[in-house]
Amino acid sequence: MRRLLAVVVLLALMGAFAFGVNRFLASRRSHIPSESTISAPTETRTAVTLPGTMFISQHGDIYALAGGYFSDLRLARSGTWMQPSVIPGSDAILAVLRTDAFSDVYMIDAGGGAVHKLSHNATPGKVIQLNHWMFWPRVGADAQTVYMSYDSPKTQESYQIDFAVWQGTLAGKLAVHQVTDPFGYTGGDVDAVPLAGGGILYSKYQISSGQVYSRLAVQKDALAEPVYLTTATDDCGQPALSPDGASLAMVCTGGTGLQSTRLEVASLSGTTLGKPRTLINNCLCAAPAWAPDGSGLAYYAPADAGGHFQLWWIAGAAGATPHAAQEVTS
Amino acid sequence: MRRRRASRHRRAWRRKTLLGLLVAVGFALSGAAGAVAYFLPAITTAIRDTGHTIQRGAATPAASASALPGEAAAAAPDPSVGSQPFTVLLLGSDNDAKFSGSEVLTQSMILTRVDPRTRHVVMLSIPRDLYVPLSSGGSDKIDKAYLHGGANAAVATVERNFHVHIDHYAWIGLLGLVNLIDKIGGVDVVATNPVLDDFYPADLSGQNPYAFQRVAVLPGPQHMNGIEALEYVRSRHGDLRSDFGRSQRQQQVLLAIRTKAKLLGLADLPDVASAMSNDFSTDMSISQVAALLPLAGTITLQNVQQVLLLPPDVSSAFVGSQDVLMPNWELILAEVRKHFPVA
Repeated sequence: MRRLLAVVVLLALMGAFAFGVNRFLASRRSHIPSESTISAPTETRTAVTLPGTMFISQHGDIYALAGGYFSDLRLARSGTWMQPSVIPGSDAILAVLRTDAFSDVYMIDAGGGAVHKLSHNATPGKVIQLNHWMFWPRVGADAQTVYMSYDSPKTQESYQIDFAVWQGTLAGKLAVHQVTDPFGYTGGDVDAVPLAGGGILYSKYQISSGQVYSRLAVQKDALAEPVYLTTATDDCGQPALSPDGASLAMVCTGGTGLQSTRLEVASLSGTTLGKPRTLINNCLCAAPAWAPDGSGLAYYAPADAGGHFQLWWIAGAAGATPHAAQEVTS
Repeated sequence: MRRRRASRHRRAWRRKTLLGLLVAVGFALSGAAGAVAYFLPAITTAIRDTGHTIQRGAATPAASASALPGEAAAAAPDPSVGSQPFTVLLLGSDNDAKFSGSEVLTQSMILTRVDPRTRHVVMLSIPRDLYVPLSSGGSDKIDKAYLHGGANAAVATVERNFHVHIDHYAWIGLLGLVNLIDKIGGVDVVATNPVLDDFYPADLSGQNPYAFQRVAVLPGPQHMNGIEALEYVRSRHGDLRSDFGRSQRQQQVLLAIRTKAKLLGLADLPDVASAMSNDFSTDMSISQVAALLPLAGTITLQNVQQVLLLPPDVSSAFVGSQDVLMPNWELILAEVRKHFPVA
């Protein structure tokens, strides 16, 4: 009886040992963050308190960041909310709601949460090519003129589909005039920034000698020839103009083998861009945005190779001696 | 009496030793069983998907030196994944519901040379529309080599036309790529430009494999999951460069996968193997694949050279009822010789 008991205990121990080895090996797996392990920004306080209120999107939701705390705008989810931008002199913001086949621009009261749909880009029919995309909506200093990238004109018979910058008004129709004339089959013109004296600064894609690149361009009048600020070899995009209009932040990929970027800042006077200063080299820096008082520059970048994009901050980015980048979220 | 007691004592000691040994072996076996259970998906995949042999010449009945440009393929070095440079043909297929079984085209063909000593890698994208003599006979687009004779024919066709020796191949299907990227937590990619496509094949949903869907990948650095990365590397209709642009994006995502793969260890193999189940095959043995993992981690981006065959290396033409790319072998072979020296 004692022997039988000993055998049973031993077998049980061996089973437990096998299970233990199995679980030990499982515990040695790499802990690469997956989509499901991302926590909402509202669960943490930021390491750095940024000036003003900043609107960010994460995982299809839009959050306001003020005083070191995030608050969820709690928008109804029938797609992915993205690309929030402030309407000058207002509590409201513009944002894009993207679905599988189209995207629309909405005006959102950041305080009360009221949402107004400004575009209607879905087609009621089954021809999916009749749907439209609208991205990067920005409002000018007059708080009325809206610029956005819109995949029009296009036909359902052609493969050609490029973004052009279009202009409209908040009170009326969004896409009234086509402002830019994109190079065909390049992806087109994106990221329009309204200029204080009229016109826009935007990122224009071009393909030449088998290479695709973006140049930052300034354009005063609709369908006029743009003035280029950067070269093809710089391959710069994602322009962000400081509140005083004197400093331009941009993300450049020229010379990086398309696997990383540089975050650069240069002075801007009219259509003359000063010598760019590299703030961060060899990074995956994206979407730079100036503080409302111009005291620094926020941007996205992963903290390490396995991490997801976090918010970073460079105080004094427009000055000659900018501070080191600080990780705002982690 | 004393002798008998000593003998009994020895027997008891032997019995105890034997029992102890049996218990130790039992624990070792149970530990091994626990490990085998953990690595079972990797072992199953290793047996099924790795170690396939390239049958040189077996799938090339119509191949002849006169039907192919220039001289014969370069002499074969020892195809080991050790310290010697080796060449791998990376193949990617649209193995969606439009195709049955292994009757698929290779939408992506990347000839890769790895030099373990210098940690230098060259990736040469072969345009899928390149019109070449196939090893299985006749001339057609190079993406049809795999359709007519699987990996053997794809390898033989590239070897004979490009005058290189290929040591190994690795093939991956659409879902294998999607699952692999999801399993490694997605990839971070600098999207080169807005990639817009209103005629992107909606063939992974399991409904109508000939339906379309709209794709818009926005430019700039971003995190992509498997489906988003697939849309980025697969779309070509809205790109002036068509397949050339797609080849460039494929190389980009491959390098992004490599960056993430550096974070993986041996304990991640079962998850990765499960993810790629049925959508991956290679002639490399599991030990050769395992030997590649630490090597991949030591190769820096600066040591990776990306080569695309653009005009004037190729020129557009119309053969029969299809658009093809005609090779300029003089230029292409000069480029190949530069990056894929004969051992």
